[in-house]
Amino acid sequence: MKTTKTLSLCAVLLALALALSYTERFIPLQLLVPLPGVKLGLANIVTMLALYFLGEKHALALVACRCLLGAVFGGGITGLAFSLTGGTCAVVLMALCKKFLFLSVYGVSVLGAAAHNIGQILAAMALLNSFYVAAYLPMLLIVGVFTGLLTGMIASALFKALIAAKLLPT
Amino acid sequence: MRDGKREIEQMLTFRRGDFIALGIVLLLALGSGLLFFLGTGEKQQITVEICRNGELIDVFPVTQDRRITVEGDYPMTVIVEDEAVWVESSGCPGQDCVHSGRIYTSGQVIVCLPNRVEIRLVGGVPSDVDMVVG
Repeated sequence: MKTTKTLSLCAVLLALALALSYTERFIPLQLLVPLPGVKLGLANIVTMLALYFLGEKHALALVACRCLLGAVFGGGITGLAFSLTGGTCAVVLMALCKKFLFLSVYGVSVLGAAAHNIGQILAAMALLNSFYVAAYLPMLLIVGVFTGLLTGMIASALFKALIAAKLLPT
Repeated sequence: MRDGKREIEQMLTFRRGDFIALGIVLLLALGSGLLFFLGTGEKQQITVEICRNGELIDVFPVTQDRRITVEGDYPMTVIVEDEAVWVESSGCPGQDCVHSGRIYTSGQVIVCLPNRVEIRLVGGVPSDVDMVVG
């Protein structure tokens, strides 16, 4: 019974993550900061939800599925390389940072955003076979602090509501 | 793991410890930024390099005004004028390269990912700096 419930919850979360990463394409953040790879990272809210309420393995599986399906629905192979490396780096770092109890969801979210950026830059360096792409890293990291705080804020509000609804973090 | 009400409360509110996370990320940004932009400004020696798929396809000094069409999946037009470089137009879906605007100091790049094209300004920086970042 428990596993069926978890499985269906994962499926709903996957759909939610895909919908969020699709929707955020229409938010013209790149007019504000014209760099490739700049985005709000709303799907990370779902990743954090999985991380805090279901566990690390579920979060990692969710990110992998989201990246694969995201590529099928319109990201393409190049997009897959970027989202998969970025996403995996983010989950791994967030899973580690979550264990540090002095960090709240805000800190974890900001570090996750940074890990995502670094992963993406590494993928870009491999793909373009060049070190120069790393010139984007400083700006991406600074933008990541703001978007990370924003997603952290949303995650905090969401978690509060979930806990009020008697769903407890693991 | 976090059953206590107080622990959950702490998990959900911005805490002093989070400043450590912010600090680390900002330091990383500053550090990587310094690596790239330290010692720029010697305009005479700056060279424009255009790469496609990691291969150098064009190299010339930034002082030469040019208008280049880069072939590829999405042809793009690159302008070099008054020691600045920018992408005037591109057939790519994202248009990030066009929105990137002008670059004019060494270490700056314009990347068009859909085209796998990279336009960079090099020279005027100590040559060993470029390799540290990896």
